[in-house]
Parts: sequence; C-alpha cells; structure tokens
Amino acid sequence: MYMRFKRYSTNMASSKNKLTGFLKWIASGWMLILFFVLFFLFWEYSIPLFDVPRYILPAPTEIVQKGSADIDKLIYYTGVTGLETIIGYAIAIILGLGFGIAISFSSILRRTLYPFFVSIEMTPKIAFAPLFISWFGFGLLPKVIIVVLVCFFPIVLNAILAFNSLSNELTLFHRSTGANPLKTFFKIRLPAAMPQCFVGFKYAAINATVGATIAEFIGSDQGLGFYISIVTGNMRPDLAFAGIFFLTLLGLSLFGFVTLMEKILIPWHISMKRINK
Amino acid sequence: MDQFIKIKSLKKVFGEGEDEVHAFGPVDISINSGEFVSVLGPSGCGKSTLMLMMAGLLEPTSGEISFDNKSVDGPKNDIGIMFQDNTLVPWRTVEGNIKLQLELRNLNLSDYKDKIFDILKSVKLEDFANRYPPELSGGMQQRAAFCQAMIHEPNTILLDEPLGKLDAMTREKIRSDIQNLWMINKPTVVFVTHSIEEAVQLSSRVILISPRPGVVDREINIDLPYPRDLEVKKSNKFYEYVYEIQEVFHEYGVI
Repeated sequence: MYMRFKRYSTNMASSKNKLTGFLKWIASGWMLILFFVLFFLFWEYSIPLFDVPRYILPAPTEIVQKGSADIDKLIYYTGVTGLETIIGYAIAIILGLGFGIAISFSSILRRTLYPFFVSIEMTPKIAFAPLFISWFGFGLLPKVIIVVLVCFFPIVLNAILAFNSLSNELTLFHRSTGANPLKTFFKIRLPAAMPQCFVGFKYAAINATVGATIAEFIGSDQGLGFYISIVTGNMRPDLAFAGIFFLTLLGLSLFGFVTLMEKILIPWHISMKRINK
Repeated sequence: MDQFIKIKSLKKVFGEGEDEVHAFGPVDISINSGEFVSVLGPSGCGKSTLMLMMAGLLEPTSGEISFDNKSVDGPKNDIGIMFQDNTLVPWRTVEGNIKLQLELRNLNLSDYKDKIFDILKSVKLEDFANRYPPELSGGMQQRAAFCQAMIHEPNTILLDEPLGKLDAMTREKIRSDIQNLWMINKPTVVFVTHSIEEAVQLSSRVILISPRPGVVDREINIDLPYPRDLEVKKSNKFYEYVYEIQEVFHEYGVI
C-alpha cells in the first residue's frame, strides 16, 4: 500500500536508499542464490560419487579449467554469434514495428498480411534454416536472416495487438480534440502501445540466440553454435558446456539490455505494475 | 442565448435486420446556454449513446443535433468531454495530462500556465501536479480528469457518469467540486447519471429517460438555490424532487 504514494520517475534516490535497496534485493534473492550454490555443489560432488565418466558429464570446475584454456576462441566466437544475433534482432525490430503499425492502420493489410503472418507463425521458422544456408552459403547473411525470421513474428504480432488495443475512452478523447493523426500517433497511440510492444521485444530476445545457434549448427565455420557442435563431436563435453555458458551470457545480456531499455523508455509502465501489485 | 442546444427527433438504432437494436429515441430536447442539465435514466436506456451523438462521436440513425444553430456533423472540437473511465494517460503527470488536452488542440501552453494552476487549485490538486495518475486515488484521478476536460475553457461540457466508479463519500465531495467549477464560468453542462440524488443536487433541470428504447419521459425543473450544500440537501423540497423522480422509475419497474 505504501508503494502507491512512492514517487517513481523524477525523484532522486539517495545512495543510502540504493544501498538498502540492494541489500533488500539480496535478502529477497537469498533463496535463489542458495539454490544455485547447492545446484553446483551437487553437480560437482555427484560426478565422483556416481562415477560419471568425464566424456559424458564433466564437473563444473573442470569446465571452468578447460574452458579458460580455450578462452580466446570462446570470446571471439561469442563476438561472431553476438553480431549475428544483434544485427538480426535489430532488423526484426525495425521490420516488426513497421509492419505492425502498417497493419494496425490499414484495413486492407489487416485482411491480407495479418492472417498470412498468423498462419506463418504456426510454422517452425527454424525449419527454413537449411534452405537459407543452401541459398546464401556459410557466411553472416543466412544466420542474420534466420535470426530475423525467428524474432520478427513475436514482434509484429505483439505490435499489432499493441496498436489495436487503445482504450475506447482515449480514442473518443483524441477524436474530440480534432488532433491530426500524426500528433495522435506520437502523443497517444505510440506511448500507449509501448508496453505490449516490449512483450514482443523480450520474447524475440529469447528467440534470437536460439536462431543464431541453430543456424550455426546447420552450416558455419565459426561462432558458438559451430564451436559447440565441433567439440561435442570430439567428445569434449567440458568445452561444449563452456560454449553453452557463453551463449547463456549472450542471451542474458541481450535480454538485460531490452529490460533496461524498457525501464528507460517507459519507466511509468514498470512502476505501474509495481503499484498494482 | 436561449435554446443553445437543440435536439430534434433524434434516434439511434444499432445493427441491422434481425440483430437490430432500437437503442434510443426519438427524442426532442432543448437546452439553454449556461444550464446544468442532468440526463437521468436506468442503465441501458441509451443516455451514453445520446452523449456520444451530441459530441459528434457517434452518428445518429435519424434526427438532428445543433449547437447555436450549427448542426453537428462530426466530432465537436469546442466542447469538454469526460467519461466514467477517465482519459488520463499513465505516462504523463497530472499537469502533463492537462497539457495533453492543450497540445492535441494546438493551443499555446504558455497562455495556460496560470490557468492550469488555478484549475488544479480549485479541486485541491495543486500539490499533486507532478504525480502520475496511478499514484492517485480514484477520486483524485477523476478530479484531475475533470481539470483535463475543462482546461481549454469549453462553453459546453458533456459528462458521462464521471462519478460512476467512485465510493459514496468521494462522490459527495466531487459533486460539490463540479458545482463550484460550474458556478464560476457557467458553461452549459450535460450530465449523464443514474443517481437520482446527484441529478437533483446538481442540475437546474433533470431529463428523465425511460428504459430502452430511451425516450424522454418528462423534464423536471429543480427550483432550489445554488450553491446546493448540505442545508439544501436536508430541505423538504429536495426530498420532494427525489421522491417524485423515484416514483417515475418505480412505475417503470426499474426500482
């Protein structure tokens, strides 16, 4: 209840508040931290306990050890996969928002492109990956196209939903002011649509690294997906786990960046959710 | 001055063929400039439909509405409008929301600086100008929405159950705020409500609408002095009006 009267946007939180906030976060997250610690401890000690061969499942310490020996390659490949992911994701956002807005405002597109997109959404996009590789070769382009493909649909479908769900009252209100469509768009429609658009952006951020990795599995000579498939073939699960760790970092960074952008661009939305709790 | 708003054989039918719903009318109403008129009726009688048609936001099936002898043929830009669910946006402060009205109308913000403060002060929200709507209580939100609907100084204000979602005490409070604001500038107010007491307390005239399809049952002039504070509400005359209206709706079987 006290949250209701807490200012959320322009107030300057003192460093003391930030510190107590951090401590509170640690305090509320202690169960999760404990869970992670126990999980890795169990993993570490169950390997010798159950006598698991290291070519099946290596211990976490061994993964760190062997992984650090290969760190240069891992970092370089993270850059390669990261570039594919980010370029594809950025293109998907531009195309997704563009088509989403166009479909929301055009009844012709809503009757043609929209059902077309909905039906394609049912297709597992990743099934196109071998085709793209065969058409465009082993380079950056087919990976970017596949990332665009797996990111585009959640973005465009959420954008259509976002731009079509303006409340009846706000629609009547802006009509009654006689404001031109451009002004209405930037002052009402666009900000009102942002929260739902971010649902699509976040979902797509999760898809993005999946798309890049699978594209690299199918045909490439660099990148983390390529690395994982090669080292697994060489019976080196320790290095495969190191690759998976860097992929996870990549995915978390992208998701974290999108969440940060949400906080910066629509701070009112985050706070509203908090208050409504 | 007289007969500022004229409504002639206004009728609204939704849908076609078998799905046809005769929602409202035919209705004839005339409203004088500066009057506070309540449109009172049970839910579903089409009173909100009437308001949307007056605002030019909904096309009537037949009939005509005119303001100052100019007939309504599209959204009217020179009125203030307010709904049960307010039109405050969560990404702007209270002040920002009031400015939104001005910005959408291409009005010069600097001309309204003092007016924004004055209108917020009149509903005791001056300390909340920098707050965001979700931080405010329901009553405060509706008062802010009222400022938003009034800031461009329209000479006609259409209110569609603006207090519908508030608790009884808050309603009481905001009624007097609305009354005070009306007494300052004397705009023409059309107030849609289903609360009999609210209608009698605020209006100079109450128009009673029958259940669907809504037609005007009768009009009652409320001859009580303004401002109608607690004293007036305790008077016998106030209750006579309330009983008179209750009887009409009782006959319809609504209450």
